[in-house]
This record gives sequence, structure tokens and C-alpha cells, in this order.
Amino acid sequence: MSNDPSQTFQGMIQTLEQYWSQQGCMIMQPLDLEVGAGTFHPATFLRSIGPEPWHSAFVQPSRRPTDGRYGENPNRTQHYYQYQVVLKPSPTNIQDLYLDSLRALGIDPLTDDIRFVEDNWESPTLGAWGLGWEIWQNGMEITQFTYFQQVGGLPCKPVTGELTYGLERIALYLQGKDNFFDLVWAHTPEGTMTYGDVFQQNEREMSAYNFEHADVPFLFQTFDHCEQQCKKLLELNLPLPAYEHVLKASHMFNLLDARHAISVTERQGYLLRVRSLAKQVAQRYYESREALGFPMLKTDNR
Amino acid sequence: MTEDFLIEIGCEELPPKALETLATALVTSLTNQLQQAGIQHGAVRSFASPRHIGAMVSALEAKQSDQIIERKGPPLASAFDAEGKPTQACLGFARSCNIDVDQLEQLETEKGTRLVFKQQQAGLPTPSLLPDMMIKALNQLPIPKPMRWGNLTTEFVRPVHWLVMLWGNDIIPCEILGQQASNITYGHRFLAPEPLVIAHPSHYENLLREQGSVIANFTQRKEIIKQQIEAQATKLNAVATIDPSLLNEVTGIVEWPVALSVPFDENFLDVPAEALITSMQYHQKCFPMTNHEGQLLPHFVTISNIESNNPTQVIKGNERVMDARLADAKFFFETDSKQTLASYQERLKHVLFKEKLGTLYDKSQRIATLAAYIATQLQADVSQAEQAGHLCKADLMSDMVGEFPELQGVMGYYYAKDLPRDVALTMKEHYLPKFSGDDLPSTPTSCAVAIADRIDTIVGIFGINQPPSGEKDPFALRRAALGILRIIIEKQLDLDLLELLHEGYSHYHELANENTVQDCFAFILERFRSWYQEQGIPSDVFAAVMALRPTRPLDFQHRINAVNEFRQLPEAQALAAANKRVSKLLIKEGKEDISRDIQASLFENEDEKQLSKLILDKREQVAPLYQKADYTLALTTLASLRTPVDRFFDNVMVMVDNPEIRNNRLALLANLRDLFLYVADISELQ
Repeated sequence: MSNDPSQTFQGMIQTLEQYWSQQGCMIMQPLDLEVGAGTFHPATFLRSIGPEPWHSAFVQPSRRPTDGRYGENPNRTQHYYQYQVVLKPSPTNIQDLYLDSLRALGIDPLTDDIRFVEDNWESPTLGAWGLGWEIWQNGMEITQFTYFQQVGGLPCKPVTGELTYGLERIALYLQGKDNFFDLVWAHTPEGTMTYGDVFQQNEREMSAYNFEHADVPFLFQTFDHCEQQCKKLLELNLPLPAYEHVLKASHMFNLLDARHAISVTERQGYLLRVRSLAKQVAQRYYESREALGFPMLKTDNR
Repeated sequence: MTEDFLIEIGCEELPPKALETLATALVTSLTNQLQQAGIQHGAVRSFASPRHIGAMVSALEAKQSDQIIERKGPPLASAFDAEGKPTQACLGFARSCNIDVDQLEQLETEKGTRLVFKQQQAGLPTPSLLPDMMIKALNQLPIPKPMRWGNLTTEFVRPVHWLVMLWGNDIIPCEILGQQASNITYGHRFLAPEPLVIAHPSHYENLLREQGSVIANFTQRKEIIKQQIEAQATKLNAVATIDPSLLNEVTGIVEWPVALSVPFDENFLDVPAEALITSMQYHQKCFPMTNHEGQLLPHFVTISNIESNNPTQVIKGNERVMDARLADAKFFFETDSKQTLASYQERLKHVLFKEKLGTLYDKSQRIATLAAYIATQLQADVSQAEQAGHLCKADLMSDMVGEFPELQGVMGYYYAKDLPRDVALTMKEHYLPKFSGDDLPSTPTSCAVAIADRIDTIVGIFGINQPPSGEKDPFALRRAALGILRIIIEKQLDLDLLELLHEGYSHYHELANENTVQDCFAFILERFRSWYQEQGIPSDVFAAVMALRPTRPLDFQHRINAVNEFRQLPEAQALAAANKRVSKLLIKEGKEDISRDIQASLFENEDEKQLSKLILDKREQVAPLYQKADYTLALTTLASLRTPVDRFFDNVMVMVDNPEIRNNRLALLANLRDLFLYVADISELQ
């Protein structure tokens, strides 16, 4: 059965898509820009701002250049997948909804030791923080669970509940494997395709690019350019394209970090520059939704 | 009549490190309020598990004792006129209390006698008071970070799902934190998800344990966990390392603890034990195990929160996670080991120590120079101190410390294994003492670097005018200062603090604060105060020594000991008083700088002659003692001056008209005072 979550990586994703779809989530598609986590997707960051409700779920490919290991580490890669669920306002039974999703994947909390371990989340670049947990399954962190309290410097009212599944890790468990690259992605007419078939070369080459070959002067230049453009777009009252430039600047920063091009001393300065942009975008986005009369608010809540 | 009371708040998983504090605060606030309201009660028990926080009060009085309500009226003086008739103010007050003037009583206050109206009010039923008390108690909780959830405005530690308020068999109807009170609780999230009805507060704890798979009492749960860990260790003929704060944290994460012993790949034992232990304790919240010789074994104990129907699967899972974690540690260790510690030092050039105070590379240069200076003073190996100073921050640039920041110093030690032993030891020991009561550096080299590092930080931070103020001490300078004093005194190092500060200052350029050295000196001496206070040294002994501001901490300590012993002598009080008298006299006359020359020809009185002679004798006796810094014997020697001094004051008039005689006597007294002032200003003794 190709969509048995315990057999294939894609089956696992399909199970989550189906489950959250049944819970009334809009299934979104990944953002087509390089981001470090699903939180950066506008469907999380921007939609958690302001009073309008939002329920969505999506896979987000995530890039963390410094985590690259040339495809040689069994569970560290510079590119991996998150499954992101965003529920606003966070429903009362959000923990139960989450646990049912684990059951749908075939994880039985009466067999496995599922624990909620305090982990308060903070994103220095997004001016965001929240309270919540890492979810541990037999000692392994499989999900981050956060009640957003502030995003882009704005208080979250209502509060967004964010669930971020680490797909490869859960797949390791479900498929009984010890190495990301051994995970079965799918069964095709030509035989079994693994995660390694799809990504090992990519990890090798991208690690080389991230650590050795990314053009540092160009990255610095691009960072500055994105910052400038972001400010200009904000002046033109275009928070959405402005936000894309925040993401691009953030990725430039991550690459520069991987190239060791930013000293620890300067690091804070760059983080603050991105945060300042993110905060302005958040504010401007809020105002733009307000100007539209928060159209997704039902009248009785307005 | 009494009854038992139970409050329980059902939450999503509460922060484990704060859990116990929150439960204690809840109970404290509740019992304080009960006392204020005049309600007697029996034992109080608190409950704190990840999803349950609450308290039970046994044998609570059903009714508040009768209350005296006091209403203050006008002052007596303005309540009656000259003829003793009540004034308008008085009449108005009586009227407002609905009584006659003659029913008013009088009350003595700080502002004089006032009229007062006292009324006895019948006590209220306790259950009617409890909801407000609980609301107040919850508002007062020291919540580290309150949160909101959903679209509610309620704030609490974590989202709240149910509330129990039970008075005997009855629910106390109320709404708290958005929840209606009931008598229904819930047990373990997975083992007992169905509602449980609590018939009576006294059933609560057993009900949760028997039917809910929850040990609600924190202390009890902690004890169970501890016993389970030890039982697992015994099975493996091992000793479990149980860090108390980790045990507390784990107690805050589980409701139904089940300890499992998990093996890991023994190839990882090549990695320094500290790194493995950090991974186990800090990242995985597990308990490492050693053999009886203290060597790490390839096993750990994890505390699961479930009676699993397949424990092997839980063990396998934990094993896999630990192996992956340790594989990372091994990878970092092996990568780091390919380089020398010195090669990391270069990278410190990119790490700021503090704005205006240069990079960590600059700091390590300064530490090296200062450590060499200290080693010279201590007649220790100067080149080793210098080398250790240069290298002491280098491991901060290693991958291992990047991954496990708490291993700073420890990794430096491993990476310096090829260097002289004392240099390697200094890598970790220069961070000592890390907290009050911690060990001290063990070698002269590590002492030199430890002191140099702290002097450099204190001088630098004071130099840019950011000294600690009030509660704020972001650079932990107080701890650093105390560390310096402890090392110097307990290791008996003959170092001059003021010189060290001058030396440290000379390695900085253009510090904004021109008074840096003096400010630092005063700051560090001030640390002595709390230190001696903790040791039970009377504050006047401290003040007597502090008055002299000795610059060598070890010397400071000797003087403290001497004065403290002197203080116990029968002569001490009189001599202290005499010194005080002399001091005041000299100050009053402006003669503190008077010439110490004494003219025997000017003496008129046998007692002053006698005292003068004794002072000369004593001076000769104590001079060699001062040379040896034997302050205790010196002060004991001086104690016999008591009688002659007393006699002098009884029989000699100092402030006579003849200026020559008067000055001669003042000079004599100045000499007397000088004798003591070599050790301390004993006029400070009470």
C-alpha cells in the first residue's frame, strides 16, 4: 500500500495531509523561496498577525546551510522537510488533535513514551516568541509545538498554535531505519527509491557550495540590496513583496554564516537588521489588512 | 465544625523547572490568606505534576472567626470643644456610624489619640471566601512567562482545562481562569484519559494514583523516581549519577514515572566523559551510570512517563537517539582533535569580548601578561602561566564547545593534553570557583590565570563605567571579585590587590573611567564585607580592619583573625573605648598629624610617665611581630596596656591650659593609637 505511512516517506506526508485536511485545514503548498523553517512561510508568519482566523497545513522544504554534512551524517542535512500546521485561534483541543495525528501515523502513545518537554521558542530574526514544547517520542524530538505570543513585535491576538513535525525523524522511526538516506521515499516501477537516491548528491554538492564556493562579496551585496528593496517596498506600501526580501536577506545571512564570513562580533548586527525589517513588514501587513477591514473575520467576531 | 478543602487546576504540561515553586507559592499564599482571615486549619498538602497543580487543606474551619471592624474617626483633640461638648466633626462621625457619641471608643495612634468605632461582625462561611482567595493566590504566582491561548484574554502558565474546588462533598461554585469549578479531574493523558469524580478532598490523591496513574505529590514522585533509578543501577551493579536539579526537572516532566535502563554503543566511551554526561543529562534528561570506581558505563537510565505495553520499543528508541547524539559529540571531538589549541586562538580575533574592550584575543593577551606578572610574584613558572593565559579562551572556538557551551574549559583541558600538565589543567581550572563553595584552582599556574582573568574583566568593565548597580550585575563581577579573594586567601598567596589592579589597568588603553583602579579596589574590598558576614565575623571587626584598607587580601585576613581574637579578651572593650576617645580628641583638636615626639621633661604625673614608658616598651616588643605579620600576638601584647591607659584617663587631664604640656599629652596618646593602628582601627569595636 503506497500511502501506508510506515512504508514510504510520501505515504507519511499523504497521511498528514489527509488528517489535517479532515480537521478543516487548508492544505497549502510550500513557499518557493529558500527558508530555514515553515515559520517563515507567509502562511505562518504573516497569517499569525492580526485578528483574522487561519487554519492551514503544508510541507515546507527547509534549508539550513550550516547543518550540511556533505551527505555523510546519518541525520543532519542542510535541506530537509518540515510539516507545518497553523491553527488560529489555537483550538482548546489542539493537543488532542496533534496526538490523533500521531495515531494516524501509527504511533501509539500507549506503546511509545510521548512526552511534552518545555521548549520556549524565540526567533531573533522574526521578532517572535512563543511558549510550548518539544514533543519527545522515546527521547527523540519529533515536533515543536508553540503558542505564538508575539510575531514581528506585535502581540498575537488571537494566539496561533503552530505544530512543526520533523518529517525525516518521524520517518526513521516509522520505517525502522537509522539513516535519513536509507528512508524509502516511494516504490516505483523501477524499484524502491530512497531519500538518498533523491538527495544524497544534492547534500554533497550543496554542502560544497554553502561552505566553500558561495560567492561572499555577492552575498553581502545581495543582503544589502534586499534590505534596501525591502525598505523601498514598504514605503510603497507593498508588505508582501517586502516580506519576500526579508526572507531573501535572511537566506543570504545564513549562507554568509556558513562561509564564516560574518564574525561573531558582527553577527548580532546582521540579525538585528533582519529583525528590524521583519518588524516593519509585520506592522505594515497588519495595517494593510486593517485597511481592507480584516475581510476574513466573520461579522460577528469583528 | 471543620471540613476538607481541595483546589486543583488542570493544565497543559507545565514548565518542569518552575513547577515546584509554583505549587509552593500557591500554598503559601492560601495559608497566609487563611491566617489573615482568621480561619484555623489542619495540615496542608500541595500537588504538582505536569498537568495537575493544587492543594488540599485538611480540617478547615467552616466559618471565619468573628471579625472586629475598626473605623477611625477624628482626633480626640478636635472631637470635643473647650467645654467638653462634641464638635460637628465628632457628631458627624457618630452619625455616619449609626451610633451615639458615647458609644465611640478611643484609640492610641502614632498621630495621637483618635476616636474609633469598633464593631463586631459575624464571621463569614469559609467556602464563600475561598474563590477570591484562590484568585488572589493565582494572581500572585511567580509565573516566569505568563501566556495567552486561543482567543481568550486569560493569562496563566499554560492553557487551563479544568478546575476543581471541593468543600467536603460539595463543589464550591465559582469560575476561575475561565473554568467552572467541578468535582471532576482527569488522570494520565494516555493511561487514564476518562473523567474521574472526586467524592471528597481526602480521596483525591489516592484516586489519582489508583485510577488516574498520576502521582500528584511532587516530593513523593521525586522519591519514587530516585528509588527506581537506583534499582536500575543496582541491577547493572552500577552507580547512578543523580544530579539534584535534573531529578527535580524530570519529576516535573512525568506523572507516572517508569525508569528504563538503556545501553549505548561503548565505542563512544572514547569521547571525554564530560561531553557524554552533558549529552545525557542536559540534552536527553537522563541519568548516567558509572562503575564503583567512577568510570562511565555504556548505560543510562531514562524516566519514561508510561507503563508501555512494549518497553523494548521505548528502550530501542532512546538508544537510537542517544547513539545519534553521541555520534555528533564524537564527530566534533575528532574534528577538533585534528587541530592544536593554539590554532583556535587566532580565531578569537573575531570574537568581541566587550565593546571598547577589544576581542577575546586581546583579552587572552592581557590575561597572559598579567598571569606572568602574578607568577613572578608567586615565584611560580612564569612561562607556563603566560602560555596558559594565551590559550585559556581558545577552546571557545572549538566545534565541541560550540555544540556544548557548558564544556568550556573542560575541552580546552583535553585539547591541551600534549602541553605541560599545569598548562592543561589551567584550561579548566581558571574558571574556578564557578559558584559559592566551589573548588579552587589547584596549581600556582591556574591560580595566576584565574586571578588574571577576573582582574582583567573587573578592570575593563569598571573602566567603561558599567559597574554593577543594585541587583544588576550582568558580568558577574561580584562573583569574580569574591573568586579573587577566595583564591588569594585560601591558597595563601601573598599578592597586593592594588598592584594587581594597576598592572591590569596598564594593559588597557584609553579606559574612560580615570578612577578605575581605585573604584575596583573599593569594589573588591567591599566584597569582603559579605564574605566575612557569612563566616560570622562581627561587623565591627570587619570595620576595624577595613578602616585601614589593607591592600594585601591575605594580610587583611590575618588582621581580621587577630582583631576577632582580641575582641574576645577582657581588656578589649576598655581599650576600644580608649582608642575611640583618643581618636575623637585628636580629630576635635585637629591634631591627628601632631608630632609623635614626647618630651619626658614635660610630664607632671606618674601615670603619664608610666604610660609613656610602657608604650615605648610595647613598641619594641611588637615591632618584630608586625614584621612577621603576627597581628594576633601583637594585639595580645598590647592588651596589657588597659590598666595604665585607664589610669591615665582617670588621673591625667589632657586639655590643660599650658599648650606645651597639652600637646605633649596629645602626642603621647597619638603614639598609643599608632601602636594599635598598625593592625586595625580598634576604635571601631563596639
